[in-house]
Amino acid sequence: MTLLQARGIVKSYGPTPALRGVTVELAEGEILAVTGPSGCGKSTLLHCLSGILRPDAGEVLYGGQRLGTRSEADRSRLRRTDFGVLFQFGQLVAELTAAENVALPLLLAGKGRREARTAALNWLERLEVADVADSRPGEMSGGQQQRCAAARALVTEPKVLFADEPTGALDALAGERLLGHLTRVAQEQRTSVVLVTHEASVAAYADREITLRDGASDPTGLGAYVPAGGRP
Amino acid sequence: MKPTALLRLALAGTRTDTLRVVLTAVSAALAALAVLAALTVLAIPVPAGFGPRDGSDAWADQYTSALLKEPGLRPGVAAGLLLLTIPVLALAGQCARLGAPSRDRRLAAIRLAGGTPRQAMTVAAAETGVASLLGTCAGLVVCLVGREVMHRPDAEGRIPLPTDVLPSVPALAAAVLGLPLLAALAAAVMLRRVIVTPLGVTRQARSKRSPRPWPAVLIVLGVGASLALEAIRKNYEDSGDPAFVSPLPLLLLFGGGLMAALGVVLGTGWISHATGRVLHRFARRPAPLLAARRLLADPWHGSRTLAALLVAVVFGAGALAVRAFFATMLEARQEVQRFYDEAAGQETTGGYGSDTFYLDAMDVVDTAVVVGLVIAAAGLLVTVAEAVVARRRSHAALAAAGVPRSVMGRALVWQTFAPLVPAVALAMTVGTLMGRGYFGAEVREGGGQAQTCDAAPALCEENFEKYSHLIEVPDVVRAVPVPLDDLALHGLGVLVLVAAATGLGLLFLRPGTSVEELRTG
Repeated sequence: MTLLQARGIVKSYGPTPALRGVTVELAEGEILAVTGPSGCGKSTLLHCLSGILRPDAGEVLYGGQRLGTRSEADRSRLRRTDFGVLFQFGQLVAELTAAENVALPLLLAGKGRREARTAALNWLERLEVADVADSRPGEMSGGQQQRCAAARALVTEPKVLFADEPTGALDALAGERLLGHLTRVAQEQRTSVVLVTHEASVAAYADREITLRDGASDPTGLGAYVPAGGRP
Repeated sequence: MKPTALLRLALAGTRTDTLRVVLTAVSAALAALAVLAALTVLAIPVPAGFGPRDGSDAWADQYTSALLKEPGLRPGVAAGLLLLTIPVLALAGQCARLGAPSRDRRLAAIRLAGGTPRQAMTVAAAETGVASLLGTCAGLVVCLVGREVMHRPDAEGRIPLPTDVLPSVPALAAAVLGLPLLAALAAAVMLRRVIVTPLGVTRQARSKRSPRPWPAVLIVLGVGASLALEAIRKNYEDSGDPAFVSPLPLLLLFGGGLMAALGVVLGTGWISHATGRVLHRFARRPAPLLAARRLLADPWHGSRTLAALLVAVVFGAGALAVRAFFATMLEARQEVQRFYDEAAGQETTGGYGSDTFYLDAMDVVDTAVVVGLVIAAAGLLVTVAEAVVARRRSHAALAAAGVPRSVMGRALVWQTFAPLVPAVALAMTVGTLMGRGYFGAEVREGGGQAQTCDAAPALCEENFEKYSHLIEVPDVVRAVPVPLDDLALHGLGVLVLVAAATGLGLLFLRPGTSVEELRTG
């Protein structure tokens, strides 16, 4: 069943076009890799799909409803209920501890501090970083920071996880570990994942892959399925 | 979001954030002190049955200062104290820019985690509100303690300050709670041009058009209002026209002052742009060229950083013009008194020619101006330091490329002083014109007839009518001089203050140009 759908997405930054009519679908529980060279519009597509950016033309449908017609506040709420977002770096609040960072979406949703912390500790434990729960991001390694960020993206048990180059700042081992965690959680919770990457080894974790070039997807618009044996 | 979560997010921060919170709290404490002082002055009781404009029976003789004794003057004193909050609030506004990049990153991270734009703004406003609340509470404590410490009656039981009265509890609560609320609202308004997105913070682009000299219209209107006020006053003196007691003079006084000050502040944008163009045209050295480019790139930087200072300069120059008026008036009165005494065949008594009340009042105003200038200079120091810290990566890149630190320092000095000198000259001119406009450029005393008694004092006391006769008192007309010496001193003082603030701000340049900065972030 299609959970997220983008039709003919066009997005420009001033005179520079980033996306030229991209169409893509994401099924429930599916892991979709968006690949392509630098500057091809991968991140812009992820930002449009997650409601962070509004496309100039085309539409994004989530659960059959148009994202573009929702207010900024509504789309923000969606990010702490149905969507989780994981970037390459920079998404943790440097002044808060790991547990506070993970608890942040719950606190913003009005949950009590104790309840939010319990949930945060649970997720930190699942991602094997419970030992740094009371450390600040500056006191953690890059891999630990990314796993904390992943915990924060997953703490609300989202239906879709958007991951933009999640292993881009990590070494191979830490990257594999993080992707292992993400795919395991996605399978357990039936969470769909949009995985933006330029690395074939990362895209190999996906069920399906689409490649962007100069802001456009392949002509079928549906992408090519990765052979079942291709997934580790 | 629960209040505890809001508080935690609002108070999370680095050392720079802590400094911003502390400075905001200090500013709020100073503002609270000014407001509490004004409320205390207004709390001095007027005896039952007397209005604020009643005679000496209603005076509060327990005070040494005539400004506090006379009920009719107290609203003016309170208004003056409230005006002191303007530079203080401007200082708070400038403090709010400290460490803005790290706060903006934090707000963006909150947005990415699902925070709505309103929640991000609430977090930022809550930080200001909490810091201000701490400050106003501290201000209240200082006020209460200071009241006890300064309550020292002289031999006659008179006190210099109204330490014997206290504003009502609702008034105190309004000051202590109202100021933080205002500060939080101001912070929210200041953030209206800031769009916090999950991808970072962007500021809504201002118009790319160069600043235009249209603020000159505001200045002309402001000065015109002061001249109109003088015309109305003359009309009233000549014909007893009741227009003078209508709200019109007050409107002209405050509206005109506001327009002129706003004109000077906004005009500084045009001045910055114009000086940037001139510098760019004629400068040959790297430092002024760098400064010229920065002035052209952001001409409004000058009006933002110098706003409070320029308002204080306008007010100060106006006060000097008013002082010159009162000094001339005193001289004219002394001359009239001398004539009267000679006509009466008595030694010079002084009489109304020795009443220095207005000049004494101007001493208080001058003190307020100096306090305002110092606070504004402190705000400038914060801004310069913030500008240096915010540009540390580009400064470090310049240093790595071989640009000497002295060149960067000189560029900052050029950037500050090139628009400052003409802006201060404009502010002083406007202030002087307004001061002269409100009070006039001419003093007229004496005139008409007076009854004088030239008999022995005992006889005069016994039957004044019998031994007195009418004399013609000459018209003494004096032109009020433009206080050039005082104005020069005022301008020089401002430049010295700015030089000190800029010099202190430049101390941040050394750590800010460390090549290590290029490795951070």
